[in-house]
Amino acid sequence: MLLLLLALPLALGEYWAFQLGLFFLYAIAALGVALCWGQAGFLPLGQALFVGLAAYLSGAALIQWGEAWWVFLLLPFAAIAAGALAFLLGLIIFRGRSESGPYFAIITLAIALLAFQVANSWNAVTGGYNGMKAIPGLPGLEGFSDVYYLAAVALACAVALCGWLVQAPLGTLWRAIALNERRVAYFGYDTAMLKAIAFGLSGVLAGIAGALYAPQQGLVTPELVGFALSADLVIWVAVGGRKRVLGPVLGAVLVGILSAELRERTYYWDLIVAAVFVFVVLYAPGGIGALLAPLERLLPGRRKALEPLRAPASKAPRSAVTLAIDGVSAAAGEVRILDRLSLAVARPGIYCLIGPNGAGKTSTFNMLTGELRAQAGEVRLDGDILSKPTPYRLARRGVGRKFQIPSVFGELSIDENLRIAVWSARTSLLDWLRPATRRWDTPVMAALRGRYPFLDDGGRLASALSHGERQVLELSMALITEPRLLLLDEPCAGLSSEETAQVREVIRWARDTLGLSVVIIEHDMALVKQLAEHVFVLHQGRLLAEGDVAAIRSDPRVHEVYVGAAE
Amino acid sequence: MDPLLVTQALNVLYEVVTLAVIVLGLAIVFGLLGVMNLAHGEFIALGAYVAYVCQSHGLPYLAAVPAAIAACALLALPVERFLIRPLYDRPFDTLLATWGLSLFMRKAIEIGFGGGYKSLKIPVSDSVLVLGTPFPAYRLLLMALCAALIAALLLWYRRSVAGARVKAMVGNRELAQAVGIRTDRLARDTFVVGLCFAGLAGVMVAPLVSVQPYMGLDYVLRSFFVLVVGGLGSPLGLLSGAAAIGGVESAMSALVDRTAGYSTVLLIAIFFLWRRPHGIFGRS
Repeated sequence: MLLLLLALPLALGEYWAFQLGLFFLYAIAALGVALCWGQAGFLPLGQALFVGLAAYLSGAALIQWGEAWWVFLLLPFAAIAAGALAFLLGLIIFRGRSESGPYFAIITLAIALLAFQVANSWNAVTGGYNGMKAIPGLPGLEGFSDVYYLAAVALACAVALCGWLVQAPLGTLWRAIALNERRVAYFGYDTAMLKAIAFGLSGVLAGIAGALYAPQQGLVTPELVGFALSADLVIWVAVGGRKRVLGPVLGAVLVGILSAELRERTYYWDLIVAAVFVFVVLYAPGGIGALLAPLERLLPGRRKALEPLRAPASKAPRSAVTLAIDGVSAAAGEVRILDRLSLAVARPGIYCLIGPNGAGKTSTFNMLTGELRAQAGEVRLDGDILSKPTPYRLARRGVGRKFQIPSVFGELSIDENLRIAVWSARTSLLDWLRPATRRWDTPVMAALRGRYPFLDDGGRLASALSHGERQVLELSMALITEPRLLLLDEPCAGLSSEETAQVREVIRWARDTLGLSVVIIEHDMALVKQLAEHVFVLHQGRLLAEGDVAAIRSDPRVHEVYVGAAE
Repeated sequence: MDPLLVTQALNVLYEVVTLAVIVLGLAIVFGLLGVMNLAHGEFIALGAYVAYVCQSHGLPYLAAVPAAIAACALLALPVERFLIRPLYDRPFDTLLATWGLSLFMRKAIEIGFGGGYKSLKIPVSDSVLVLGTPFPAYRLLLMALCAALIAALLLWYRRSVAGARVKAMVGNRELAQAVGIRTDRLARDTFVVGLCFAGLAGVMVAPLVSVQPYMGLDYVLRSFFVLVVGGLGSPLGLLSGAAAIGGVESAMSALVDRTAGYSTVLLIAIFFLWRRPHGIFGRS
């Protein structure tokens, strides 16, 4: 492979060295698009902006200081500037809106179009419509084959970087975000930051392509910033395969070069590319890269078991939690959901939240985690008023949640699911890059593996688990974060009586070993009777009654809302 | 009245009204069906090219109207069946698939008609006096037609049984099916009607714009921005979005230059997409 790359320009001549060099650069930018789209699940539709920015910067530097050898030292800054812009834009956009659907794509497209307008009209700096001309080549590099080797080395480095990122914990977190961003936030991750890092890195890759494009072509026009390249990058990534590291490279080099050659000869080439693109979107999301799967299986696998490594202690506070909800009201449109609700969790233990449908049980959880905005009243966690809570901030303070419908990351393995929980509130940016982080283990995790043997079958995909196993996996993940307050929404829904008994045991065990407070929404009164140390009864958004099970059972008001008043 | 002011005001009004009719098709397809159709602009281009073909064969301009509707409907039917219907619950892929379709149509037009500009003769070339200022009659006629078209569509949507069915489908697809509405057919018809409106808009504006294969890209983005700024699903939103985007652009173009006009539109669109995706009146 390496020899082939080295020999190509000698065998094919200057023209091909030039063309291949150019498409190697495009492949670097395409790798960035794949990082965002294939890994983190959001599609940048204006990636040419970063290619163009770095190309203009690098062109300007070369025109100014093109003779000096140290101009090489300036080129990385062009790429870093593009990456910094991408990171900042990403952070601003993702903080403003947490979703990463089509709107993000359109925003990036609009920004790229805006940049085209700037490049096209700012004559003094960019050269306007005619572009920045007569950019000298890099000092010391003669001819197209030298530049070809530089592009090939840059591409190899970019592939290695992406391959490593995809394997690193960061890659797992990105894929988890693509599957269920809300759930990742509930594990205490700043998902906007994680996505902005992906976008920033894609900006750096686009910037490397741009910084080398300027000396390779000797000319930078506003076309480079515009729509066409952004569009081509997305097509190459889609056709090449966005999920595999080599997919975008295949796409850019194969489709790109074929296009450049055949576009002139057959009118219909672009029609074929468009049709192939639509076909890939509809039926073959893996692209050409999916054809590599059988080859990958031939490679010697690194299947040896990883030696577990004791994870550092959680950075979330460890002391027992106190929670006080005081007179909170919330509404959705005209409907009043919570009506001056007050309740308090003062010491560790198992609390059950019961009430008829529509009483506001799940809404209470949503209000606590900030998904339902409280219009009046206040919530105190450890005595501090919670203003503008978010799932991420609450998780950081030791509040975990398990949803009613088990939400695990279906397309990740059991191991990856568990790791996301272990890393919660324990990792820093550096840990996200270190492969050793994948081996982290904790006593809680080991204990849960002991209770539930299926968790040891780590290579299985979570989507292959039964409903009951998924319930258990999500509960385990919530417990592995070692929360101080755990909100459980019907943890035993859909479980057999045997499985229910096991979950009951686990909850008791967790209370004893972790000293945590558990609030459980539960309809199954038998389970409430067995588990609850304290029961809150909600009715029409208000606390109707509270006390131990016996007190609740004898309370006439509770009977009234459940079975109607005795006339 | 100051003649310059009258001309400027009429121009702004013209921009806004024609923009509203350009958006109309996307408002139906995106607003009602939730299909982000990035090929919307290419159907406008298709309408414009049909008008060009009609005119170059010496047919009366009005002949382009049924021809464009027929062409768009014929193309929209297979597109709905094979591209849109399999992707109803995958909005992201719909965006990409229709985008691929737009690339395909653009290239097909380029192959069929060449990449250059086509200019059409204006069907009504007189000008009339408005408040003492001469103004092209075709533009006035166009404004009246656009307004009438939007009003008619609105009335039909509000009053007709089919309109009620569409509303039921938009509100709750399963429930609509349960009460006997064939939602797959209704969605197909809504989609086709939306694209026919796009083609019709193409016929209407063709004599006044440069007809070229890439004209659609500009229209689809502008249409999308109008819907984001105005908010989906309400006629008031459509008009206020068109007023905001068209008004700002023509005002800025008149005051500074075209680059400033387009850049301002992009900035407004970016802001709304980012902070107010439900539009001026919408709640986030």
